[in-house]
Amino acid sequence: MNEFSRRGFLGLAGAAGVAGLAACAGTGTSPTTGGGGGSSNTIEFWSNHPGNSKPVEQQIIKAFEAANPSLKVKLVDAGKNYEEVAQKFNASLAGGSLPDVVVVSDVTWFNFALNKQLSPLDELLSTAKIDTSDYVDALYNDYNLDDKHYALPFSRSTPLFYYNKDLWKAAGLEDRGPKDWDEFLTWAPKLKAAAGSDKIVMELPDGSNYLDWVFQNIVWGYGGAYSKEWTPTFSDPNTVKAGTYLQNLAKDGYLKLSKDPAPDFTAGIVGCSMMSTGSLGGVAKDAKFPVGTAFLPGDGNCPTGGAGVGIPANIPDDRKKNALKFIEFLTNAQNTVTFTQATGYMPVRKSAVDLPEEKAFLEKNPNAQTAIEQLPKTRSQDNVRVLLPGGGARIGKGLDQIVQGQDVATVFKGLDAESQQVFDSQIKSKLGA
Amino acid sequence: MSTSTIVGTRDDEQVPPAGGQRRRRRTSHQVEASAHHRGPMWTVAGYAGMVLVVLVIAVPLFWILLTSFKERGDIYVRPAQWWPDPPTGQNYSELTTRIPFFDYVRNSVIITSATSVAKIVLGVISAYALSLLRFPGRSIVFLVVIAALMVPNQITVISNYALVAQLGWRNTFQGIIIPLAGVAFGTFLMRNQFLSLPGEIIEAARLDGAGPMKLLWRVVMPMSWPTLVAFALITVVNEWNEYLWPFLMSDDETTAPLPVGLTFLQNNDGVTNWGPVMAGTVLAMLPILVLFLFLQRQMIKGLTAGAVKS
Amino acid sequence: MQSSVTQPQSATPGSGGPPPEVGPPPRRSSGRAWEWSLAALLLLPNLVLLIVFTYRPLLDNIRLSFTDWNISSPIANPVGLSNYIEWFGRDDTKIIVRNTLVFTVATVGISMAVGLGLALLLDQKLKGRNIVRSVVFAPFVISGAAIGIAFQFVFDPQFGLVRDLLARIGVASPDFYQQPGWALFMVTVTYIWKNLGYTFVIYLAALQGRRADLDEAAEIDGATAWTRFRRVLMPQLRPTTFFLSITVLLSSVQVFDIINVMTRGGPQGNGTTTLVYQVYQETFVNQRAGYGATVATVMFVILLAVTVVQVRFMDRGKQA
Repeated sequence: MNEFSRRGFLGLAGAAGVAGLAACAGTGTSPTTGGGGGSSNTIEFWSNHPGNSKPVEQQIIKAFEAANPSLKVKLVDAGKNYEEVAQKFNASLAGGSLPDVVVVSDVTWFNFALNKQLSPLDELLSTAKIDTSDYVDALYNDYNLDDKHYALPFSRSTPLFYYNKDLWKAAGLEDRGPKDWDEFLTWAPKLKAAAGSDKIVMELPDGSNYLDWVFQNIVWGYGGAYSKEWTPTFSDPNTVKAGTYLQNLAKDGYLKLSKDPAPDFTAGIVGCSMMSTGSLGGVAKDAKFPVGTAFLPGDGNCPTGGAGVGIPANIPDDRKKNALKFIEFLTNAQNTVTFTQATGYMPVRKSAVDLPEEKAFLEKNPNAQTAIEQLPKTRSQDNVRVLLPGGGARIGKGLDQIVQGQDVATVFKGLDAESQQVFDSQIKSKLGA
Repeated sequence: MSTSTIVGTRDDEQVPPAGGQRRRRRTSHQVEASAHHRGPMWTVAGYAGMVLVVLVIAVPLFWILLTSFKERGDIYVRPAQWWPDPPTGQNYSELTTRIPFFDYVRNSVIITSATSVAKIVLGVISAYALSLLRFPGRSIVFLVVIAALMVPNQITVISNYALVAQLGWRNTFQGIIIPLAGVAFGTFLMRNQFLSLPGEIIEAARLDGAGPMKLLWRVVMPMSWPTLVAFALITVVNEWNEYLWPFLMSDDETTAPLPVGLTFLQNNDGVTNWGPVMAGTVLAMLPILVLFLFLQRQMIKGLTAGAVKS
Repeated sequence: MQSSVTQPQSATPGSGGPPPEVGPPPRRSSGRAWEWSLAALLLLPNLVLLIVFTYRPLLDNIRLSFTDWNISSPIANPVGLSNYIEWFGRDDTKIIVRNTLVFTVATVGISMAVGLGLALLLDQKLKGRNIVRSVVFAPFVISGAAIGIAFQFVFDPQFGLVRDLLARIGVASPDFYQQPGWALFMVTVTYIWKNLGYTFVIYLAALQGRRADLDEAAEIDGATAWTRFRRVLMPQLRPTTFFLSITVLLSSVQVFDIINVMTRGGPQGNGTTTLVYQVYQETFVNQRAGYGATVATVMFVILLAVTVVQVRFMDRGKQA
């Protein structure tokens, strides 16, 4: 009996303890406690290993630890894609044990920055006397909010124009990508004739799989945009023109959407597509025909993409300092070359292309050369896609509807209203705060 | 000693994993029980049904298996390739070299067995209390238990993450296992089962002076064997495939289970080579299917009820 | 026993209708202290776990549903009922509720009926049934992610099996991934295929545990197969059917993996978005965790109501 009641008591005490903890672990109200896991000389790096890059990351980490014997880096499997890393980071924001370095994508970084969960890096960078001018400008400025930078570019990609050289030859076309989308329209009938009835001239990812990302190229090509700063401009006549162009491509049977164009293209079923540079290695390896790559049509109309690395705001300053040391190392000229050659991402440093090993690499891989030459022609994406919560999905939905034949002007007008409403209710009050 | 003893003895025979002997004996009973149900027409229809089932259900499974033996360039081709040409074991070796596959297997085994044992024990004792003990508020407690099935884990994870992280249990087995150990499904299933047992047998056992624990082990459990096996199977499968929570809790291969580990074969910003992923799926599925083959033999008709009657 | 053919549920409290008095005999019916404490002892560990790891987050979630909480923000401002008002007024709510309904009704109805059929079939003494049983169970074992990929080879408009079969009879394959109706059809079929193993195993267990004497009695009575099925078997399986109707409903409402892998809730934004997928989207993609919490709360209340009704009408094991 004694035994029993003692255990009962202990049980109760345990339950009370748990309840007590539960109370302070409430989500969304308690300010995030800093600290958590990790001593100040262990840098916890949360990564999704973009492009199967875990071995390269480990290699770079080893080099970093050799150069900084007092520091250790713990590489954490933080998800299978950018969304999952964001989800895990969000969980840690609610409950402590923050990482020191986290991978944030072109769409996920902003909400963290806006809610003051990422450190602005500018001050840290200048204290550490790190020169940022060597970062490719468009890539570095992607992480700019209120004149502060919240991440450094890491695994950055752009779309490329991929085409099947055999089909191009059969259609009697020059071995190059189209100069602009009007030119492509003159090619399309020839390509269709050459492709036959069971093949597709062009396939793009659907609205659930980032059509909204590559379509920016067409929009910009016709002088439109999703937005100017924070003002949605879907109803702009030029944006509507681009939408109509997309719709007509589909209507005339030149364009199909798909969950993932890469296998269809690789199998030779699809004549051309706009896909990430990240797909380059896989496509080149699998395709049983010569793969051509070209700049996206137009000039200076290529959207950037991919991810950067940021540092959580609520960790102690000495941890931030170490974290910065690490991300600078991770993205320096030497390592960005190591990283990009293993994965197909873009070098994020201007000086990277001058390194001898990169020169040798590009000589052997002319398709990678295309991507790098396109890099200076990239343009930062429109705010309502990357910075507005759910922007990509919202626009993707509209584009799906257009391709399925709904009226372009109506759909775009709806997008204007929705985007504006989301901006007003979720962003406006937090800007400049 | 009357009924309960009789039942008790049977229980002793049935609970241990069926050795060949016992199984054969019970199977022969079963033949007797069901053989005279059917004429030849039923048999033919039965086999036809089985063929149809295999055709419809097995084809996608077959694809997973085939793909796991295909070379990378043969996976997406038109027309579809119905036989790997040439078959390759490359995907399987890539699977074990590109990720620490066996570490993930070990973690999966630890997490699955601990969670399953906890769930099965908790499920059975909770169900027992909810079906065969009388206390105030029983229906309410029951409803509280099943209502837990209505809470999607997307909304519990963030809050639980905060709690477990503050306990310092991130990237530990207890941090993964304990929050998963509460059981609503199994409590419901077993309660239902216990309630469906013939009241007169339980009553007779009680009159014989069987205490509550003896009643559970000797009378109630043996008669509930098939359902318990089903409960165990489904629990093991669910824990084996648990993704979201272990993903959030684990940091690396020291604790992450297979479903998390296999995702690192996918290329998240490019072209995934599905061969190794499918190989991983096949290997992840195998142990559970073996377990199923073994356990489903245990689901032999409970003869207890009928036998006791006569 | 013979009378059980006509009135199985009342005459035999077997695996069928539970007896009106399953609990302890009347003399104990007021409950005794030891019985209460034993019940408490047995229930407590499980209840503590459920309360800490399910109900505590649920309460948190309900509280947050009245706020504008951004998933990354340390602050959640109360906004009263405005999330709820928004949910009831929004255009996409109608589509998402309809998707959820179609998906759930189809999966519950079909997977239960087919699962029962398969269990009946494979309860027969047929050669090779163990292998076939494993085949039926196998899809349930595979993770949703792998199934999404495998079914790409069934439904893909370029490589799919369906395309192949339809081409043979000269019909063009619908684009399952791009047309909302077909996409919903696709995820529903896939989900049913995966979860047949579940209904099958539960029904099989119930068949294994059923009362052979009732069947025999019916047979002696010379009842036809259909009568036996309807009058003897179905009443015996009633608790199982009740159990499955609740658990299949609850799990199909919460389908996530398959939708996430196959369609991400698309095409056209919400072609296959169900309530739980919306919770995920709003919370983690749109970062509106407050609104996501609202959707989750609404869903919880609906499910609770449906389940209470089911328990009322079907659970005859409940003590009055």
